[in-house]
Amino acid sequence: MSEAVLTARLADTARDRSKPLLEVRDLTVHFPFRHGSLFNPQHGFIRAVDGVSFDVAEGETLGIVGESGCGKSTTARAIVNLVRRTSGEVRYNGQRIDGLSESAMRPFRADLQMIFQDPFASLNPRMTVGSIIAEPMKIFKLHDAKNRTLEVMRLMDLVGLNPRFLNRYPHEFSGGQRQRIGIARALAVQPKLIICDEPVSALDVSIQAQVINLLMELQQKLGLAYVFIAHDLAVVRHIAHRVGVMYLGRLVELADGRELYANPRHPYTQALLSAAPIPDPKAERDRKRIELTGEVPSPDREYAGCSFADRCPIAETACRETVPQLEGDAHRAACFKAE
Amino acid sequence: MPEPILQVENLYVEFKIDEGIVRAVNGISFDLRAGETLGIVGESGSGKTVLNLAMLGLIPQPPGKITSGSARYRDEELLKMNDKRLSQIRGHRIAMIFQDPMTALNPFLAVEEQLTEVTRLHLGHTHDEAIKHAITMLDKVGIPSAEKRIFDYPHQFSGGMRQRVMIAMALSCNPDILIADEPTTSLDVTIQSQILDLMKELQKTEGTSIILITHDLGVVAKACHRVLVMYAGKIVERADADSLFANPRHPYTRGLLESVPRWDSERGDSLQAIPGQPPHLVDLPTGCSFYERCTYRQDSCRESVPNLVDRPDDGQFACFVNIDQVKPKELV
Repeated sequence: MSEAVLTARLADTARDRSKPLLEVRDLTVHFPFRHGSLFNPQHGFIRAVDGVSFDVAEGETLGIVGESGCGKSTTARAIVNLVRRTSGEVRYNGQRIDGLSESAMRPFRADLQMIFQDPFASLNPRMTVGSIIAEPMKIFKLHDAKNRTLEVMRLMDLVGLNPRFLNRYPHEFSGGQRQRIGIARALAVQPKLIICDEPVSALDVSIQAQVINLLMELQQKLGLAYVFIAHDLAVVRHIAHRVGVMYLGRLVELADGRELYANPRHPYTQALLSAAPIPDPKAERDRKRIELTGEVPSPDREYAGCSFADRCPIAETACRETVPQLEGDAHRAACFKAE
Repeated sequence: MPEPILQVENLYVEFKIDEGIVRAVNGISFDLRAGETLGIVGESGSGKTVLNLAMLGLIPQPPGKITSGSARYRDEELLKMNDKRLSQIRGHRIAMIFQDPMTALNPFLAVEEQLTEVTRLHLGHTHDEAIKHAITMLDKVGIPSAEKRIFDYPHQFSGGMRQRVMIAMALSCNPDILIADEPTTSLDVTIQSQILDLMKELQKTEGTSIILITHDLGVVAKACHRVLVMYAGKIVERADADSLFANPRHPYTRGLLESVPRWDSERGDSLQAIPGQPPHLVDLPTGCSFYERCTYRQDSCRESVPNLVDRPDDGQFACFVNIDQVKPKELV
């Protein structure tokens, strides 16, 4: 084990979880929609996020995993007010930031940055790399014009891009390099917390590893906190200190990363873990698999009980009557039957 | 050893673009044996998809060109076949499923029409026979109440269900070979696991040979008997799946295996990323095309192209260096 890794480990244990950087309480995002015929319209809600609570400490990575449509991206966007929450609270450094107007939110935007999934769509093709990275500094009036260019070059160097490429356009870079540009842009305003929404899923495996390593290095150097959203369980396990599992808009399990993967308590987490393939044919053959029948149902329905009950291998009648809450101390699961 | 059902030899495919000539497939040979699943692994641009499109005459020419090589299906040469014979084989004896089931299905036609077209064309089914057969197929791939769902349109199916429809369509003439190009890449893990199990199950009952193109080493470990690893249009290593994962001989294969996060890895251990980017296929370097990114490279690797040599098992790899005896260098 290298020395850097060792210090990182020590820092892990010393981290103070009593004063969270970000607190999310009962966050709910419902999208109204209309269906039925033109003359007999029916109104419904897509319950994209349905009462999600968690904390993120300074310098910590919280991973959020789940399948498409489970609400993980909407959660991320609701935290930074990119979609309007329906109810619930979001606190940053103890101050409420949910429902703030765009101008009231602005001071917080420097601290809370985002990295997006698609490095092809998230960079303006008509701007040079230099101006893309300098843009947030201009908005927040950081540095004067000359120092800004120096700062851009420093950031490019920091994320592993050659500063000579300052005046090139995004299309001249590969996917992995573009993701580095996106990271440099997020770092330009010295954020405390970066929300990473599937930052490596569009990249090839060999490049994916480069970007994961970069994100972890930057965390050590700059003391960043991440909310890391991904569907790849192995990637999340690698990068996150704590991991939350979402299903149909709800957090069904939340625990320390190592603990969650070793002893998953919620039947959905167990099924998800058993479905993810391991790159080792022998281990693959010997695995016990929990087959889930059916697919994730549409989130437009309100459930009287547990929303997973219809697909759950161990559900009982009681599960369909009351909604299970996240319970437990360090390792919390929202299941009546979890040991 | 089972007879090969498909034999590809020395296949070269290139594309003419403004900057020059892209050598997408650069001398590839392999066999597909009856009843096996052969995995083809590689990153974007490694030529794995072009290779398979070329065999089925699906490369637009120009800009593409198959410059040399052969692909024999049973006793027939696919690359010299006329269009009429080729379309008798395509979709009938050799079928294909694609990565994105939404764009591969026609959104304007009910699933019924798309499913029955194949059997009416290839098996001469009447309308009623074709519908009956299509319902059996949908049932087989696990679509509930198939007799009703068959009249639905693609948008009424979820991603996983659409991929099942694609599989039903591909298998409806009971092909000898199924080419699956990233069939589960756009699906969630639980659905991916269902689809891979389904393919395995159908292979067992129908004896289909499968070529599974993927970039996901986990999928390879789960589904494939033998594996080809491709890099910059060439095969750099081939072996049965167990030996390949246990004992990779090519630095690129080893690099790929080490760059995926493992379940048993600890948080904080940094991943062994492969440095750099894949080369531009227009100006491939002389010598080994992995040279720029290789941590085991020697000066001699720059001068000549390594040929495939035998592995200790019946596989092959293309590298001059014994990676167990050379210490990897830091690349700058």
